[in-house]
Amino acid sequence: MGQAAAQGAGAGPITITIAGPGGQLSPIAVSGLKNLGDDDDHRIGSAFVGTLRRDLELSGYFRLIDPHAYIEDPQTSGFELGQFNFADWRSINADFVVKGSVGAGGPGVKLTAYLYDVAQQRRMMGKNYSGDAGDVPRMARRFADAILEAATGQKGPFDSRLAFVSTRGGRFKEIYTQSIDGQDLFKLTDNPTINLFPGFDRSTRYVLYLSFKSMAPALYLADLQQRREAKIDSPHGRVIGGTLSPDGEQIVASIERDGITNLYLLTRDGAEIRQLTDTSGINVSPAISPDGATMAFTSDRSGTPQIYVMSLAGGSPRRVTYSGDYNTTPAFSPKGDKLAYQSRNNGRFDIWTIPVGGGDPVQVTDGNGSNEYPSWSPDGRYLAFSSTRGHNSRIYIMMVSNRKIISALTEGNGNDSCPAWSGWLGE
Amino acid sequence: MIPVQRGRGGWVSSRSTLAKAMAIVSVGLMLALAGCSSKKPAPVGDTNPNANQLNENTSGGTNSSTLEDWKKGLIPGQGPLSDIHFGYNDYTIQDQDGSVLKSNASWLQKYPQTKVQVEGHCDERGSEEYNMALGAKRAQAAKDYLVTLGVSGSRISTISYGKELPLCTEHDESCWQQNRRDHFAVSDNKD
Repeated sequence: MGQAAAQGAGAGPITITIAGPGGQLSPIAVSGLKNLGDDDDHRIGSAFVGTLRRDLELSGYFRLIDPHAYIEDPQTSGFELGQFNFADWRSINADFVVKGSVGAGGPGVKLTAYLYDVAQQRRMMGKNYSGDAGDVPRMARRFADAILEAATGQKGPFDSRLAFVSTRGGRFKEIYTQSIDGQDLFKLTDNPTINLFPGFDRSTRYVLYLSFKSMAPALYLADLQQRREAKIDSPHGRVIGGTLSPDGEQIVASIERDGITNLYLLTRDGAEIRQLTDTSGINVSPAISPDGATMAFTSDRSGTPQIYVMSLAGGSPRRVTYSGDYNTTPAFSPKGDKLAYQSRNNGRFDIWTIPVGGGDPVQVTDGNGSNEYPSWSPDGRYLAFSSTRGHNSRIYIMMVSNRKIISALTEGNGNDSCPAWSGWLGE
Repeated sequence: MIPVQRGRGGWVSSRSTLAKAMAIVSVGLMLALAGCSSKKPAPVGDTNPNANQLNENTSGGTNSSTLEDWKKGLIPGQGPLSDIHFGYNDYTIQDQDGSVLKSNASWLQKYPQTKVQVEGHCDERGSEEYNMALGAKRAQAAKDYLVTLGVSGSRISTISYGKELPLCTEHDESCWQQNRRDHFAVSDNKD
C-alpha cells in the first residue's frame, strides 16, 4: 500500500491511501451522470461513464463496483457535496465515488464530474468540461487521468492514442490508430501491401511509418493536421526503418545498401544531416531519447543483435545489453532513464527494461507467448507491447512496476503488432 | 476543448460494422490464400499464371515479385530460377545451394535480355526491422555469388521483404526453413 497526497477541491490538503502496484485494488463506484436537461436518453452520460470505467479498470489501481449494487438513483439524488448520502456508498464498500452532471443550456455539451473520498466524506477533485457530443469520451479520458493524479500523485496516460499494425482487414498489414480504451478506430493506411513501424512525435501531429506501397520500401511522414504525406527516401540506398524525434523535427532512418544497413540522421523533410553508424553489418531499430539528444539502436557488431546508445551529435556507441544473444527494439522511457526492449529466450521474446547508463536488466513479461515491441505510456507507468499469448497476436497493456498484465487493448480478426503509444493529446 | 485530430476519411465511428466488413473480406482472402498455410512447400508452376509462358518467349520466361503475386492473392510462382535457403539468423550461402546458384547463373547467361531481382526473406522469429536488414544481407549474398559466376551486377537488383511474406505460416522449423530463402524474380530487361 502506498500513501499519496491529494488536494481537496476548495479545502486543505488531505491524505488518502490507495492500493499501490501489487497491492489491493481500490473499490470505486462511477455513478451515472445527473441529467440537468440535455441528456434525456442518457447517451452522453453513458458515453462518459462507460469510457471512464474502462480507463479506470485498465489503470490497474481500481476495482469497479458493479453498478447493480448502487443504492441511490443519480437522477433523484444530488451530485454536489452535501446533496447525497455517503452512507449509500460506504455500505457497498466504495473507497471512492464519481458523481456528476450533464448541464443544460446553450449549444454543445457541458459536463461536470467530481471524485469523492467516501471514508473522509470529502470532495477530492472536480472538473468542468464543454465541447461537442463527440468529445465526451475524451472528457472521460481526461477525467480518468485526473483521478489517477488525485489518487496516486501522477497524471494518468489515457488521453492519448495507440498506433499499431494489423492484418484485421485481410492479409495486408495496415496501420491503425485508436484510443487506449479501444474506441475511435482509425485506418491510417489503405494500400494493399506492407506497412510497418508507426511512430508519433510528441504532439501527435505526425505519424512516421515504413511502407512498401510503391513496391520498394520507404518511410512516409503523415501530417494528421494538414492531411498530407511526404515520402522519405535516400540517395544512400533503401530505407528499411526509422523513427521520428519527439519534437517532430528529425528522423533517424535505417538505410540499406549492398546488404549493409546503417543509421542516418535526417531532417523531417528527409535531407541528410549526418551518418550516425558505419559498420559493415546491421544497424537498425533506432529510438530517440525524450530530450532529443541520444539514440538507442540495435547492432550486430558484437556478433549478435545487442542494444547500444550514442549521441545524435555523433561519436562512439556504448553497448547497453550484455545478457542474451538477441536483444532489439529499444524504447526510451519518458524520463529518459530506462530502455524497454525485447530479448530472445527459447525461440520467443520477453520484454525487459534496463537503465540507459547500464546495469542489471529486469524481465517484465512472464514468458507467456512471444512478447515484442515495447512502447511506453506518456506517464511512464505502463508499457504497450505485442504478444502471441492468445490465439492471435494482440497489443497488451502492462503496469511496469508490478509486471502484471492488465488487458488486451486490441481485438478483432488478424494479428496486431508494432504498437506506438502517443504522448498526451493536450488541451 | 480541442477535438481529437481527425485524419483522412475521419474516424471510423462504428466498430461493429467495420469489423463485419473486414471479416467478410478476410474470409475471401483466406480462401484465396488457403494453400499458403500448408506445411507442404508451395506448389510450383501449376499455380503460377506465368508458368505456361515459360520457355516460350525469347527471354526464357519471367515471373512477378513475391509482393506482386501476394497483392493479387497468388501463391508465389517459382519462375525460371530456383530459390535458395539459409540457416537461422544466417546469410551465408549453404554448400548445397552453390549448384542452384550455378544453374541460375547459367540460365541468366543464356538469356542476356533478362534482369533479376533477388528477394531476401526470413522466418517469423526476430523483430520486423532486424529481419528486414537480415533479408537484405541474404539477397546481397546471392547477388555477390552470381556476380562471381560472371553475371553482370547491373542485371541484378536486390530487395528484402524481411519476415513479411512467408511461404508457410506454421510455427515450426519445417516451415521456418522454407521461409528463410532468396527468391529470384525475372523480368525482361527493357533498358
